[in-house]
Amino acid sequence: MTTLIKLEIIRALRNKKFMFFSVIYPPLLYLIIAGGADSKPIPGMKLDMGLYYMVSMAAFGAMTAVLLGNSERIAKEREKGWVRQLRLTALPGRGYVAAKMAAAATVSLPSILLVMIVAAAVKGVRLDAWQWIAIAAGTWLGSFVFAALGVAIGYMATGDAVRPIAMLCYFGLAFLGGLWMPLTLLPQWVQNIAEWLPTHAYAALGTAVEAGGAPHMKDIAILAGYLLVFAGGAAWLYRKDTRKA
Amino acid sequence: MTTTATTEATTAQEAGRAPVVSFRQVNKSYGAVRAVADLNLELHPGETVALLGPNGAGKSSTLDLLLGLRKADSGTVTLFGTTPQRAIEQGKVGAMLQSGGLMEGVKVKELVELARDLHPRGYPLDQILATAGITDIADRMVDKLSGGQEQRVRFALATAGANDLIVLDEPTTGMDVSARQTFWGAMRRQAQQGRTVLFATHYLEEADEIADRVIVLHRGRVLADGTSAEIKSRAGARRITFDLDEPVDRDALHGLPFLTSLAVSDSGSAAGSGRRTVRIQSQDADATVHALYGLGLYPHHLEVAGLGLEQAFLAITTASDATPATDEETAR
Repeated sequence: MTTLIKLEIIRALRNKKFMFFSVIYPPLLYLIIAGGADSKPIPGMKLDMGLYYMVSMAAFGAMTAVLLGNSERIAKEREKGWVRQLRLTALPGRGYVAAKMAAAATVSLPSILLVMIVAAAVKGVRLDAWQWIAIAAGTWLGSFVFAALGVAIGYMATGDAVRPIAMLCYFGLAFLGGLWMPLTLLPQWVQNIAEWLPTHAYAALGTAVEAGGAPHMKDIAILAGYLLVFAGGAAWLYRKDTRKA
Repeated sequence: MTTTATTEATTAQEAGRAPVVSFRQVNKSYGAVRAVADLNLELHPGETVALLGPNGAGKSSTLDLLLGLRKADSGTVTLFGTTPQRAIEQGKVGAMLQSGGLMEGVKVKELVELARDLHPRGYPLDQILATAGITDIADRMVDKLSGGQEQRVRFALATAGANDLIVLDEPTTGMDVSARQTFWGAMRRQAQQGRTVLFATHYLEEADEIADRVIVLHRGRVLADGTSAEIKSRAGARRITFDLDEPVDRDALHGLPFLTSLAVSDSGSAAGSGRRTVRIQSQDADATVHALYGLGLYPHHLEVAGLGLEQAFLAITTASDATPATDEETAR
């Protein structure tokens, strides 16, 4: 099983085009959105735009790499019959999901770090050392939730249906979770939904640290719950996939 | 026959008793098409079995059911007395699929190393590469292989560990003649080590040469099951050809013993000379030829040859198509 995890990571690193765009795209988006913003606090929050978008763009970038990348590649591998071949080995379902998540995490880590570097260098974001480390670690670990969702989508949908479904989850979760604009600027009903979405809990890990506190237990619990559901669902779908893939 | 499922790992002695593969009253339909119909089948340890049939006979469906890649509509499929999935998880089964894609973006040896690592009783990497004849392409990227090379890599994946059963779906498709010979050489060595080998093919000579048991599948049913010699004899074992100068008395020829078919034509070499060529299929060539001389005839260029498995196969499937359709068949 370790060989599969190793191999999936090597493959991800060898795929230079995918790697390049996944890593470059989030910091670029950060500069476009937060680049011209002033350092006044966002209404209803203690953070300014530079800080807020550093966390949300790091989160958004990690999601891009792990959710979109995973789901499409897996659907393609199913179509080509590789997954069928893999199901004839002693590999348990959780091994497959773990390997795919590990490969996704390999891509998401550099994109998270790059957003933080750009924020510090261009927008002059200054934090304590522990805050930098906590934000990077939290955002990286949180990306596993969406990696698992990517695997599950890759298993649920086939061929042409994968991209629209993945896109819908990706944009829907990003917007409703407040990654594109602070939730306090959105109507109350959106805020009510957002509170229970994994994306909101995900970004809240980082913003809590930026505000000088520890991440809220509620957010961690929400993310852990989603991780369990997505990863469990993905492993179940992997084993139960008796349709001709 | 005992149906007790052993939950612990099957030892060689237990494997000697339990059938390696057992299909009981298995049915599988895709919409209105019955791919597998009331299939009963048992494979025993050490057998090399060919699954033979025209396209659409249900070969691939049967193998998919056997490997647990699809679920049967009804009936039970067991491997080593347990479910296919369990047997696979225990590393008892190695399989090479027709549509088995390969992981892209990795080297051949990396992929084989993966298969070896996933197998509970994996062989050393060099040994697997050598057995499959892919040592020279071990550093090649999987995406850049020819069709025949891909097949050999699939074979390496299927034999990366000590399996008790090896399942191959049309394994030599895309291989040239020498690759095919190398492949079957490796396969024979697997069989000699006491493994059960099941392969689907539409190359009749492969079934004839390699298998010690041939199962002819047609429309999802077992049409014939036996050694290739038995299957040939079922269709009329031998072919007798000779030329006659004298006028041919068809009725007398039809009266020959053990005759299954008779054809008379102008002799190609001496058209217009009145010489005729007679072709006969017989269940017992010795008796037929003896009776031929007994008729007072003088056959020239007498030849007695075995009927190929191909003709036997055609004879059996054509005969089956000619029989009145049963209820199930009309429902298709």
